[in-house]
Amino acid sequence: MLAWLIARKDLSLRIRDKSVIIIGVVAPLVLAFIFNAVFGSAFSDAGVVVTIPVGVVDEDGGNVAAAFGDVVASLENGGLLEVTRYGSPDEARAAVEDGEVSAAYVLPAGLSQQANAGDGGAIQVIGDVDSPTAVAIASAIADRFTVGVEAISVAIGAGIGTGVITPADIPSVLADAGAITAPAEVRDITAETRQLDSATYFVAGLSVFFMFFIAGLGTTSMLEERTGGTLGRLLAAPLRARTVLLGKALASIVLAFGSMAVLMVASTLIMGADWGPPIGALAMIGAAVLAAVSIMSVVGSAVKSAEQAGNLQSIVGVAFAMLGGTFVPISQDGGWLARLSLATPNAWFLRGLADMSGGSVAEGLPAIGVLLGMAALFLVVGLPLVGRTVKP
Amino acid sequence: MVLLSRADRAPVRRSLISGRDQATKFRRDERGNAVSVVSVHGLRKSFDEIDAVRGVSFAIEPGETYGLLGPNGAGKTTTISMIAGLLDADAGTIELSGEPMTTRSIAPKRHVGLVPQDLAIYPDLTARENLRFFGRLHGMEPRSLSDRVSEVLAVIGLTERADDRAAEFSGGMKRRLNIGIGLLHHPRLLILDEPTVGVDPQSRNAILESVEHLSAEGMAVLYTTHYMEEAERLCDRVGIIDQGEVRAEGTRRELVQLVGQRDRIRVTATGHLQSGATRLELIPGVEEVSVAEEGLELLVQDAGAVLARVMADLVASDVTVSAVAVEEPDLEAVFLHLTGKALRD
Repeated sequence: MLAWLIARKDLSLRIRDKSVIIIGVVAPLVLAFIFNAVFGSAFSDAGVVVTIPVGVVDEDGGNVAAAFGDVVASLENGGLLEVTRYGSPDEARAAVEDGEVSAAYVLPAGLSQQANAGDGGAIQVIGDVDSPTAVAIASAIADRFTVGVEAISVAIGAGIGTGVITPADIPSVLADAGAITAPAEVRDITAETRQLDSATYFVAGLSVFFMFFIAGLGTTSMLEERTGGTLGRLLAAPLRARTVLLGKALASIVLAFGSMAVLMVASTLIMGADWGPPIGALAMIGAAVLAAVSIMSVVGSAVKSAEQAGNLQSIVGVAFAMLGGTFVPISQDGGWLARLSLATPNAWFLRGLADMSGGSVAEGLPAIGVLLGMAALFLVVGLPLVGRTVKP
Repeated sequence: MVLLSRADRAPVRRSLISGRDQATKFRRDERGNAVSVVSVHGLRKSFDEIDAVRGVSFAIEPGETYGLLGPNGAGKTTTISMIAGLLDADAGTIELSGEPMTTRSIAPKRHVGLVPQDLAIYPDLTARENLRFFGRLHGMEPRSLSDRVSEVLAVIGLTERADDRAAEFSGGMKRRLNIGIGLLHHPRLLILDEPTVGVDPQSRNAILESVEHLSAEGMAVLYTTHYMEEAERLCDRVGIIDQGEVRAEGTRRELVQLVGQRDRIRVTATGHLQSGATRLELIPGVEEVSVAEEGLELLVQDAGAVLARVMADLVASDVTVSAVAVEEPDLEAVFLHLTGKALRD
């Protein structure tokens, strides 16, 4: 009861201050809107990171070229590629140099004939040096396709040699190459690493980024009260020191949760963000808030003044945001950075929302569990440290 | 350290001139002994290598204003922080109405109102909101709290500004609000830590009058100050504290006598001065009489006690008195005598 009284007083002061409304609602919403406008085109509803403009030159005209054409058409439908057909390699090269396309595939004459003879085949990729990522993706698609063709080509050679495959079967076998390659793989990739649409991604990422600042207000408020003399007066009242601590934490939790909930509703209405099932999203927000309040309380207790606490909390908040993928989706990197990002609540929050967006609330439970675990860990480890700040 | 016995410490009067007897306002038990609101015994506190408080002991009774008089750094604030339950003592005991006080105490804290030296108010809350918040924190019920808040606002003279943010107040108004919060919940003991530091004369006088009023109503007051004149005006008893030790305590008169200081009465007069002086020397309590250029000068133990007799004897000696001035030795002199330094050093 007394803790809630202290929390209510803090809430009243913070809301009058208006800074919490700016930090907790206005700033993330505005920045998410800007980020979405600037970078949103790099996302697609299918969850693919980029759409790569590519050219295709078919000098072969055979069944292998047709199979490759099916592959790129499928990728175009999936939003990964935007395909333009050119009549000659020179025309395609000019298009690459002019920046019309990032890469161009050249299917050389005789490609199908070579493959049909079991000699494999090669697809030439002309890349734009200014778009290394797009060229790498285009090359990877070609590589996967040619590996598949080569495998089938070897199989055909062996089949003909043993009489299992007759020349009449070859076209249908080659046609299967398209089914073996990329389209199925692309779908698999998105299933493993589900993505939020750009609006949701940015607003969720920025929400949790700014939420960290609000989560730290409890500790800074405690230090401000100490400097201002009111902490002594609180502690002279008939209550325990931990009641003051609880009151401060409650205020932070309510403010942080409130700002996130408002952002969830506002971004849904204004930007069309999709946070997934509301109950799951609110549970995810609650878990992230608890984790952030615990972490920021421990961080803030390491210093002696509100200003120092604010600075240190800012550093931690920005580091978590960078690492957790608020600004760049590090989790798609797949390397050590992606693994390191899992040490941050930000990454688990975004991952949890993404998991739920692809399915049900249950799919977000692991992320919620991890966030609650982080909250518990920092609470247990940090409570003695935080308790030291409750002194006049 | 020089300490007077308990029997010697019974508060008698606030000032010689006013002669106001306050002994009657103290609450007494069935045996007639005064019941202490707070009693402190052998209090000690060190910070690292510094002994901030070294064996402080005193007791305050209901309706009594006890002053801790000492320079900055003497240990006053550390002492009251322990009494208010903000710091734990390294040694010694504190009892609030018989209950031990530590930082973990709950019940004894209900009986204490703390007015810290530095302002402890929320500038972004109104005066009324500040009072309501701390009132609720002390467990006051909302209904009775509203009435009490109005009362306190009237006492501290902020009724007209009750709904203005404290940030908009003058320094003196903030000080008064600071005091109002301390006395809101009817504490048995009001602790005022240098409440007039940095306050304009008008607000200072209002604060001192408030303290006098509260004391007259029966509230025990612990008042720390390094202003000698405040201690003399307000305090029934004074503890002279320096370097963490109470060097002496008692009423102003007891302290003055303790260090051998005397009151001086200057009589501007004409007539038979020598015969008058001879007669005055016979009055008990008159220690020295000298004939000066414009009259007589007397050194007496207690000017208030002998003044009427002095005037009567002078008239009887055919001495025409045109003016009388009484000079009382102040606590500054006592402090200097006890510590070897001035109060504001």
